[in-house]
Amino acid sequence: MVVGLGLSSAEKSYIAGGIAVDLRGDGRGRHHFRDFSIDTSIIPQANGSARLRLGGTDVIASVKAELCAPPPGRPHHGKLEINVECSPTAAPEFEGRGGEELSMDLSRALQRSFLGGASGAGAAIDLASLVVLEGKLCWMLYFDGLVLSSDGNLLDALSIAMKAALSNCGLPKVEITSGTNPEDDADFELNEEEFTPVDTSRFPVIVTLTKVGKHYIVDATAEEESQMTAAVSVAVNKKGSICGLTKRGGTGLDPSVLLDMISVAKRVSQTLITSIDAEISAAESRHDDQ
Amino acid sequence: MDFISPEGLRLDGRRPFELRQLHAEIGVLDNADGSATFEMGNTKVIAVVYGPREVQNRSQQQLDHALVRCEYSMATFSTGDRRRRGKGDRRGTELSLVIRQTMEAAILTNLLPRSQIDIFVQVLQADGGTRACCINAAALALADAGIPMRDLVASCSAGYLNSTPLLDLNYLEDSGGGPDLTVALFSKLDKVTLLQMDAKVPLDVFEKVMNLASEGAKAVTQFLREILMENTKKLAFAKEPLKV
Amino acid sequence: MGDAMRGAHFRLSPAQKQRMLVAQERCRDAAGSVHSSAFVNVGDTIPVDYENGYLRGHGTQVVDGQLLATVCGVVERVNKLVSVRPLRARYNPETGDVVVGRVTEVAPKRWKVDVNSRQDAQLMLSAVNLPGGIQRRRTATDELNMRDLFTENDLISAEVQTLHQDGSLHLHTRSLKYGKLESGQLVKVAPYLIKRLKQHFHQLKQYGVQMILGCNGYVWISALPQSTPDIATDQKRANTESLEAAAGTADSQNVEISRELRERICRLANVVRVLGACGFLIHPDSIVDTYEASLSWGTELKHMFSGEFFVKVVEREAEQRSKKG
Repeated sequence: MVVGLGLSSAEKSYIAGGIAVDLRGDGRGRHHFRDFSIDTSIIPQANGSARLRLGGTDVIASVKAELCAPPPGRPHHGKLEINVECSPTAAPEFEGRGGEELSMDLSRALQRSFLGGASGAGAAIDLASLVVLEGKLCWMLYFDGLVLSSDGNLLDALSIAMKAALSNCGLPKVEITSGTNPEDDADFELNEEEFTPVDTSRFPVIVTLTKVGKHYIVDATAEEESQMTAAVSVAVNKKGSICGLTKRGGTGLDPSVLLDMISVAKRVSQTLITSIDAEISAAESRHDDQ
Repeated sequence: MDFISPEGLRLDGRRPFELRQLHAEIGVLDNADGSATFEMGNTKVIAVVYGPREVQNRSQQQLDHALVRCEYSMATFSTGDRRRRGKGDRRGTELSLVIRQTMEAAILTNLLPRSQIDIFVQVLQADGGTRACCINAAALALADAGIPMRDLVASCSAGYLNSTPLLDLNYLEDSGGGPDLTVALFSKLDKVTLLQMDAKVPLDVFEKVMNLASEGAKAVTQFLREILMENTKKLAFAKEPLKV
Repeated sequence: MGDAMRGAHFRLSPAQKQRMLVAQERCRDAAGSVHSSAFVNVGDTIPVDYENGYLRGHGTQVVDGQLLATVCGVVERVNKLVSVRPLRARYNPETGDVVVGRVTEVAPKRWKVDVNSRQDAQLMLSAVNLPGGIQRRRTATDELNMRDLFTENDLISAEVQTLHQDGSLHLHTRSLKYGKLESGQLVKVAPYLIKRLKQHFHQLKQYGVQMILGCNGYVWISALPQSTPDIATDQKRANTESLEAAAGTADSQNVEISRELRERICRLANVVRVLGACGFLIHPDSIVDTYEASLSWGTELKHMFSGEFFVKVVEREAEQRSKKG
């Protein structure tokens, strides 16, 4: 997942050596997340938006809500769609279609963690809460991510940004004016003065464990990622339940190693979620003050 | 539709000759050689410059001047109705070309032979005047990268609705069916480097709209100069303290 | 947006914000060398004494008989030479500069090296030290074995040998202090923050660390090389067959970096990053002073990118500048 990053063999062994003694190039331990900052409401035209900066990684997430018909066979559910794009601003290699592969990778990984199963169970948001008129009208939430700059760990960063964007999101009140009969189409009016927030308590955060040599690290920089033999991304929610799992990289992992990586991800995610929630509240109150 | 109220106010409360609020920031992305955001009202653009650097594709190398490349992208969430845009859609390609030509005319490319300059413009929010906003952001990003230019380029748009020339159209006004003219100027040299307009207008209307847009561009130039001067001073003072 | 300095993003509490603003003001106001009237924007007219004549330097152009600035920056006048120096820009090479670069290509009889400039630099096979004596003709074997010396992505230290009209630059590594870099890490800062000094290799024996401040903004921090090069060892090395020995890597390659040494390298690297983000001059003295200060403050390595550390560094710089003035 790294573009144009060439390292000398001396640098590679220095990085691996540091990870082995729990002292990475910037002074972090293996399980230490970089400090991050969140700003919300940066795309006023969207229903909710946020920008996240994690070291040199800079991403924007937005949530746009549209009214539509519920998914076939599930009249009591709303819909989610997730999409990520990599801007050429992040790297000249992303020009034209250069960033397409990475964009698709990231989109699919997020979809796997947030969309839930075919029945809609296990989604990042309680889909039933998105229903306006059962069988006829529901909210479709479009999550769009944009990568502006990358210094590694894009997946985790995007998941945090999307949670922040969702926290920032308000759904306009829908007033049904007619059509409550099952055969009729519904007519409605949007009340753009009243907004209801969306419940984000189920929204997971993704923690990626990157394996370099015998050890695994959390929140890898672009340099560290270039040395990965394998990576496991685990989506964990506030309750500690695992909502999604992705393994990348050619090297096979011993099942016990995999289980250990997952437990590390779980442990890290709990403190991370607390920091994220704190940062989001701080961002929102900063915005309210303006 | 009435774009101007009987009191002479536009839909967003502005007077016909009033620019939207301008906001800019230099040095927003650390990886690049130069970067800047530029906002005109709700239109928000980020521009980034990589270079001058070694030409990546040897066959494109120019022996006596720099190769300038540009790509324009619009975020999926940038417009009111969310739209997935494939890369290489016609408008995007045209804008990439227009922005490149405008900035290329400003850059002293003969001073940087055998090198490559990449300009990437990313629209975060579009509310009319996107073209102008992109050019202004790119000008700041190029200055941030220390790339020599013959002059600062500044751009602004203008239109004509309800028989009145209007400065710096927003999206609603832009969709109003009147002409939409964008001009980019070399302020010091007092030369027009870009002029684009759609729709048919009689010549006298064209002149009025063109002059209004030029006035707007001059005001934008003033703003760009203030932003750049503040940035230069900040960097210089940080490095070495000021002598009184 | 976040309380950002270039290359760093952190949050400051209102109290910290206040301290930061005060410290930045003090830094600015301490008596020093830059005159505020010397700043120009692109397109600005530069006042010159047309009667007595002037010489047009970098960053300027003449339009309709007037001298205009082509970049944003500081006007410099040296005798009759008038030029504008931009602050942030790609590395502008000068002969004799010590640089740190990354090999991007191994081509016939030369390497191409990225030195953060407008073009990649060239390092000719004839401009490096070879085994078997310093002066000898390059053989076909040498040409084939170039990758034994430097291969793609290797980091090297070198000196700028020549600059050509078309902007190309040539490097040489004709001294044993130059060559492949090992056992350390690279930090990148803006080139304008590195002042040209007599020395760019700094051996910090008290820490067991070496710092190379490349004029191009690439800073290499590593373990001290095992042995300092001297004539006797030169000859010994020169007589061996191995190209590796000639590259000066045989010794440092096997340096085992202890955890303590790694911590010191990391602390120095973080100091350089922080000074770079603050836009302060990267001078060996200021690096060491800030390093020592960070120890006295008890700052842990992983907290060196926090808002508090940044505020302390700026406050300290303000203090230093006020004293000098």
